[in-house]
Amino acid sequence: MIILKKSLLAAALTFSVLTPVVGHSAETSNIYYGVQIEEFEYRYGEGGEKLFAFDGDAFIGTDELKLRWEGSSELDLTVNRFESLSNQLALQTPISDFWDIKGGVRYTSPEGPDRWYAAVGLSGLAPQWIEVDTHLFLSEKGKLSADIDIEYEILLTNYLTLTPSANIDAAFSSDREIGVGSGINRVEAGLRLSYDVWDRILSPYVGVVYERKFGQTANYVEEEGERADIWYAVIGAKLMF
Amino acid sequence: MRKSFMQSLQIGFMAAASIAILPSMSVAGTYDLTVDRVIIDTGDFQKEGIGYNGKSPGPVLRFKEGEDVTINVTNNLDESTSIHWHGLILPFQMDGVPKISFPGIEPGENFTYKFPIIQSGTYWFHSHSGFQEPDGAYGSIVIEPEKRDPFRFDKDYVVQFTDTHPHSGKRIFRNLKMSADYYNRQQQTLGDFFSDVRKNGLKATIDDRMAWGDMRMMKTDIEDVQGFTPLINGKGPEQNWTGLFEPKERIRLRLVNSSAMTYFDVCIPGLKMTVVAADGNNVQPVTVDELRLGVAETYDVIVRPMDDKAYTIFGASMGRTAYARATLAPREGMVAEIPEMTKAPLLTMADMGMDHGNMAGMDHSNMKGMDHSSMKGMDHSNMKGMDHSNMKGMEQEKDSFYANGSGLVPTAANGGKFLSYADLKAQKPLYEDREATREIELRLTGNMERYIWSINGVKYEDADPIVLQYGERVRFKFVNETMMTHPMHLHGMWSILDVGAGKWDPAKHTISVAPGTTVYSETEVDAPGQWAFHCHLSFHMDAGMFRKIFVEGGPKSASLNPSEQGVLQ
Amino acid sequence: METGIGTENMKIKRTFLSGVAGATLTAVLALSSAIAFAAGNHHGSHGEKSVIGISGNAADVTRTIEIKMGDNFYEPEEISIKKGETVRFKIINTGEFVHEFNIGTAAMHAAHQEEMMMMVEHGVLEVDKINRDMMKMDMGNGKTMEHNDPNSVLLEPKETAEIVWKFTDDAELEFACNVPGHYASGMMGEVHFE
Repeated sequence: MIILKKSLLAAALTFSVLTPVVGHSAETSNIYYGVQIEEFEYRYGEGGEKLFAFDGDAFIGTDELKLRWEGSSELDLTVNRFESLSNQLALQTPISDFWDIKGGVRYTSPEGPDRWYAAVGLSGLAPQWIEVDTHLFLSEKGKLSADIDIEYEILLTNYLTLTPSANIDAAFSSDREIGVGSGINRVEAGLRLSYDVWDRILSPYVGVVYERKFGQTANYVEEEGERADIWYAVIGAKLMF
Repeated sequence: MRKSFMQSLQIGFMAAASIAILPSMSVAGTYDLTVDRVIIDTGDFQKEGIGYNGKSPGPVLRFKEGEDVTINVTNNLDESTSIHWHGLILPFQMDGVPKISFPGIEPGENFTYKFPIIQSGTYWFHSHSGFQEPDGAYGSIVIEPEKRDPFRFDKDYVVQFTDTHPHSGKRIFRNLKMSADYYNRQQQTLGDFFSDVRKNGLKATIDDRMAWGDMRMMKTDIEDVQGFTPLINGKGPEQNWTGLFEPKERIRLRLVNSSAMTYFDVCIPGLKMTVVAADGNNVQPVTVDELRLGVAETYDVIVRPMDDKAYTIFGASMGRTAYARATLAPREGMVAEIPEMTKAPLLTMADMGMDHGNMAGMDHSNMKGMDHSSMKGMDHSNMKGMDHSNMKGMEQEKDSFYANGSGLVPTAANGGKFLSYADLKAQKPLYEDREATREIELRLTGNMERYIWSINGVKYEDADPIVLQYGERVRFKFVNETMMTHPMHLHGMWSILDVGAGKWDPAKHTISVAPGTTVYSETEVDAPGQWAFHCHLSFHMDAGMFRKIFVEGGPKSASLNPSEQGVLQ
Repeated sequence: METGIGTENMKIKRTFLSGVAGATLTAVLALSSAIAFAAGNHHGSHGEKSVIGISGNAADVTRTIEIKMGDNFYEPEEISIKKGETVRFKIINTGEFVHEFNIGTAAMHAAHQEEMMMMVEHGVLEVDKINRDMMKMDMGNGKTMEHNDPNSVLLEPKETAEIVWKFTDDAELEFACNVPGHYASGMMGEVHFE
């Protein structure tokens, strides 16, 4: 509860930063917002695992300054517990034609101990249309970690898209309490075939996801009787509005 | 024929008579416009939009040169509105741009526009508030000249092109800001990749994709907003607006492009079009098979169907994603064949303002290390000497208003003559030709990925006004550093487009600047006050490709205090 | 491919050779005047056979019709003639552009418009000026671009001219200005036979 209040406070603070810009009323408002849900899916693992996975973000702001919320989670449907749950609120500003930097806070609250992080990030479009989103985190325990998301869209047609993606988590030191070992500790690779059925608002997809944990992290999950690497078949939808 | 003979006799008499009578006689007309929420039915879909007097497009306002018009505008919307009289020369307080000419017209309020009509020809009007124009807030203006026109016609039709989109303007803009390629459904696909490999070989195709991918730009980025239905006079292709004629009659078609974002390549298969006016001003007649109607431009053409049959007025969008269609027919209900759209163009490196050897087997070795940002500072004057001799597609006619080797150079569907800006020559120059007093460079800039559009790299909200001195003649140098075509519109004063014809250079209100080109126009600064100057693609204007022009000096009557002249009730 | 490019370049260059009669030009001109002649533009010796009439005798003139040329229209835009009548046309260019007065059939005018277009492209004809020396230039086959046919005059602004013309046939005739764009925008008039 306290945490919820904290994040609300953070949100309120950041919005108040933006208010003067909102107040400046041009003929057309220069405040934009948007919501994009990249993953909203049911995962069925090779060992019968059933998961709900979510990855999305929302923003409000101007060309120069945006407040962006990013959230992701994996809910194990068999035991009804969050394998992972992360929320991040950051301010984002352009540094070049194609790149933005962002800074804010991240809060992870899966089953087990929670963590607050200070987060800085870089996101944008690399040459050859590769979308990149990467962060560096410093946890309240003083541990440094990082992640990177890359995604590429292959247009089979202008409506049917094949999207390979990769997601890598790394830690510079281990945080045993939350099951994180140092080094590259988790890789998730996905391949999703989506079809835009309603503008770009709704694009259902099917796909496969391969997830592998490494090193200490792998040991931690294996200790809990789970697999360190696993294939999933996924079905879900991309949303944008 | 007899009728037109009589008409011209009458006009002749009237012209003679009016010389004696006019000074003591002043015509005055009062017109009423309401701004309303309306339903627009394109035949493909229905949407709620904004119109005038209960309809979108609004009425054709018919004025007379020399008339003093009074236009009462009532805002029935629940938001502020405005009306800009596109191309009309008038006191700036009457120009209808909120925050520049006047405060705007609040919901439920009336505003009375009063101004003298000192020109003739085809123009249009539209809201300059928010996204009302892309939502349907436009109509057309026809001004009858005091003297006879320098051409003959028996019938006279306004042919107003618009691009009605199922989404509201507000939503389109937000979607573009969220994802600049939101509406581009013509992107190159895996299939295109393989067909290019078959055509050009694997290496060339990969090199080509890498070069474009390196810039993070798309060859297909010709229309930012697709998915619209083109309308002519409010009718979709299926609804088929029809203009009636009798064989051998001369028909004056007043082509107006009131689209938010869409250029149209207009032809009437089976008929030649003789262009007699551009942006309201008469030009020396030039007969063409097809012309490109830029956003906000108007062209008057004369056609003369000799046969008792129907003809299709066909306007393919520049990116070939949709077409407008209407019919000229001797009788209601007659239709002609609707032609196939020609192939969609693809931008080339020339449109990016980049040097290149030949397109087919292009050597990208020099491009690999190219820094995108360095393109900005590129000196376009060096481009003139570029060697394009090995380029494919050189068969097409040269048009100096497109980059050398541009993918956008239009060609007539029937292989005939396509109008170029270079063909436009004033019928009667409005101003004496003289040397410009100074040059102002306006680089048209933007960031497609972020959907930010700007001038000299600065958005409107961050920019200082451009200050001009009353009485000077300014030469504007437009350097298009983006890959989009920008129709630049200066309010209140004419833009004399440099087509290299000296004193015959035509005066326009909207100058289309193709990607990778430099275009010059000159303006006699003869209108005091403050004016808008912007790209007329609605969403580029809203994204910041806009400037305020401040004219210093001039007659005192043009007070800068809007409340003194605007009649807010 | 090599040769293809070569020809292409030549073609482009040629359009820039204003005023210089290239080989192509000569051929095209010869061809188009041949068409015009075939269409009946030939007068004089075969005069009786021509539908447009013949150069008339001043002594036979029954009346004078004044034709004012404006930019770009005639006043009047219609005339009435009796078959066999000989008329003196007094033609005044009151406009600021070069204009033509040419009696012919619609088909003859159409053919002549192509020639006039070429004259403009080669700088012989400017908007408000006729380069008469260039018109006299031999096009290579003894033909020139001179406008010395008795059924037509080409006038600079302020110039005047007279034509005496005998209308031998009640054919469908028009008087027209074939300066590019002028006819199409309405600078023509009908000849009606009473």
